[in-house]
Amino acid sequence: MKKVLSLILAIAIFATMAMVPAFAEEKAEGWNNVNAEGYTYPDYSGKTLTFMWWGSDTRAKLTTQVIELYEQKTGIKIDYQYYDGTTYWTQFQAMMAAGTLPDVFQMGNNWATYYDTIQPLNEYIDSGLIDTTAISAAMLATTTNQANGDVTGISNGTNARCFAYNPAIFDECGVAYPTDNWTWDEFAAAARTITEKTGNPAITTLEYQTLIYSYVSQYTEGANFYAMDGSDFDFGGDTTSIAKIMDLLVNLMKEGVIGDYGVQNEIGTNIEADWIATGDAAMIMLSSNQFQALSNVAAENGISLKLATLPRVTADGPSGMLVRSSQQLSIYANSEQKEIAADFINFFENSIEANEILQCERGVSINSDVLNALIADHPDDTVNNEIYAMINLIGSFPDAANNSPAEPTANEEITNVLKQTYIQGLFYGKYASAQEAADAFWAEAQQIWAKYEAN
Amino acid sequence: MQKTASFHKKHKEKFLYRDNTVGYIFAAPFILSFCFLTLVPMALSLYYSFCSYKIGSTPEWLGLQNYINLFTNDATFINSLLRTCQYVIVGVPLKLIFALLIAVLLTKDTKLQGFYRAVYYIPSLIGGSVAVALVWKQLFGSRGPIITALKAMGAPASFSFFGDTSWAFVPLVLCNAWQFGSSMLIFASGLKQIPKDYYEAAEIDGAGVMKRFFSITLPCLSPIILFNLIMQLISGFMTFTQAQVITNGGPNYATNYIALNIFTEGFSYSRMGYACAQSWVMLLIMAAVTGIIFKTSSHWTYYEN
Repeated sequence: MKKVLSLILAIAIFATMAMVPAFAEEKAEGWNNVNAEGYTYPDYSGKTLTFMWWGSDTRAKLTTQVIELYEQKTGIKIDYQYYDGTTYWTQFQAMMAAGTLPDVFQMGNNWATYYDTIQPLNEYIDSGLIDTTAISAAMLATTTNQANGDVTGISNGTNARCFAYNPAIFDECGVAYPTDNWTWDEFAAAARTITEKTGNPAITTLEYQTLIYSYVSQYTEGANFYAMDGSDFDFGGDTTSIAKIMDLLVNLMKEGVIGDYGVQNEIGTNIEADWIATGDAAMIMLSSNQFQALSNVAAENGISLKLATLPRVTADGPSGMLVRSSQQLSIYANSEQKEIAADFINFFENSIEANEILQCERGVSINSDVLNALIADHPDDTVNNEIYAMINLIGSFPDAANNSPAEPTANEEITNVLKQTYIQGLFYGKYASAQEAADAFWAEAQQIWAKYEAN
Repeated sequence: MQKTASFHKKHKEKFLYRDNTVGYIFAAPFILSFCFLTLVPMALSLYYSFCSYKIGSTPEWLGLQNYINLFTNDATFINSLLRTCQYVIVGVPLKLIFALLIAVLLTKDTKLQGFYRAVYYIPSLIGGSVAVALVWKQLFGSRGPIITALKAMGAPASFSFFGDTSWAFVPLVLCNAWQFGSSMLIFASGLKQIPKDYYEAAEIDGAGVMKRFFSITLPCLSPIILFNLIMQLISGFMTFTQAQVITNGGPNYATNYIALNIFTEGFSYSRMGYACAQSWVMLLIMAAVTGIIFKTSSHWTYYEN
């Protein structure tokens, strides 16, 4: 009898012990939905979280407001720092070397380069701490390492590389506005006329690597410069297309239609300093989410801008464009408060209140609740409506899903030599023809790839 | 006698009372930081230069491979060596001539001498900063006042400093020359050391201003010139901030100085071992140039005693 009793007692103790974690697990799906009615914020008083991002002044203003909001609600203190797009990576690398990266940092599509510093978010998503119920699986996939399923971050929104233009200058020069499927020939003709009539470069910021990689996809349907998963090149090595677009761009630069290296370097990554904002240039190439910051500055000068697609090789050919994750928030692998970091990311990406402030400036929100609320609340927000329309348009292009968003580790160096060695080299007459420059570029790109492969 | 011996004995243990100890304590911050922030990193970088090393990973021994690659398979590196030499050869003499000129002008005894010296020294204090580099970028930029003025004077409409491979280094050299203050102060103090009677005697013998400058001032100042030359050469070889901020190494690597190239290799491409090898090549080149100047200096410097 005694034995039976002690057995029962023992079982009872084990059962209660087993139930404690069971209760903890038993949180309903979406338990951390910040938009739910009666949601109570966790109390993090006395704690400090560190956070770092890159971007424009507009972004800094909006982001600090959201930080204050989160501080108010949870009692936490957030130490933040922000830089422009170039300085950010220098800082990031220095902090990485010193092991002092912040708990939460903004990360680009180049996350493969910094893979070791990033905490996979899978456990927080599985536990519901980061609520992904309103985020589609396809959007979550944009920040997932396809090789092993690690979620490297939560996307801050989607964007697409496109053009913005100043309709007033087009009108003034008697040039037709870009259409949804305008071609490189039409672009070149329009830009030349504008430069001729205004005496200024028609365009001063172009992202050469993106144009060239897009052109590869436009020229040969289904081809990509990099494979979809970034594991290799994927266009077969035919450099004709690369030579064609290099030839066009460099010729336009020589004619003064595209601003020369000096002008481009003065503007750098600071989109708000582009000549289009002062009414001097008529076009700019940008990421759709940058349109907001640019429009703000342009509006101060009485300029209103519109978005246009990238030009393509033939009007009825592939667009070469794609919708991708603009950037993401990631957690530092060595952070000592990953749970708090995860909760902050959950708030930042999912809270309607926070995103009413952020206004999709980092990209069109991937949370459908948030996006619907924003659209419903701001029917007259022409700038954002322009962005939503452009993202929808590009998403509707039949080839958009087949164009590679990959930025493999070797991409930064390949991009740098493409610009500095080959495009500028061609401009300054170091190559007899664009084809020669394109071949030399392709040879070096493979060499660079091999160097990273070896590591 | 016995008293002094006991006095010494008494104080022998009092380590702190020894003159040397006090000296070392005062020098300790420097000695420690020199060891840990200079010597140790230097030794490490020498080791890494023989390795393939990415920050955060374990270095992998390569032997001389990095050095062989530098000279056989890296046109960008060779180009950056040549560009750095161009910068030094044009920039350093220009800066020294400028510094000497102002120093000579400021030896004239005027009430405002101190004021002028302070004013001319200010650029040296702030000149290396990013803020000044940004101002310089605007000043020489494609819509800046200098380009506008040059175009008004008949420069071609397409002319731009930063868009032209052969002109892009000019603003950088000028920005460096503008920070002549510290060289100027050293020259000025050197000028004061030259005995007045030399000039008086020369004047009586009928030597003109130029003759006096070249036959008295320059020879008497030659040890100071040597010192300034060495200092400026070293800082010239290490130039980084202006090139990074103003031109970002461009166009087409025209201002991609060696320090900038090292930075790109190390921090942008994560090839720390390779970057370390470049640093050591640069160190050897600087040592060689400095050595040659020291060796030949006995032929062109004049010491009075």
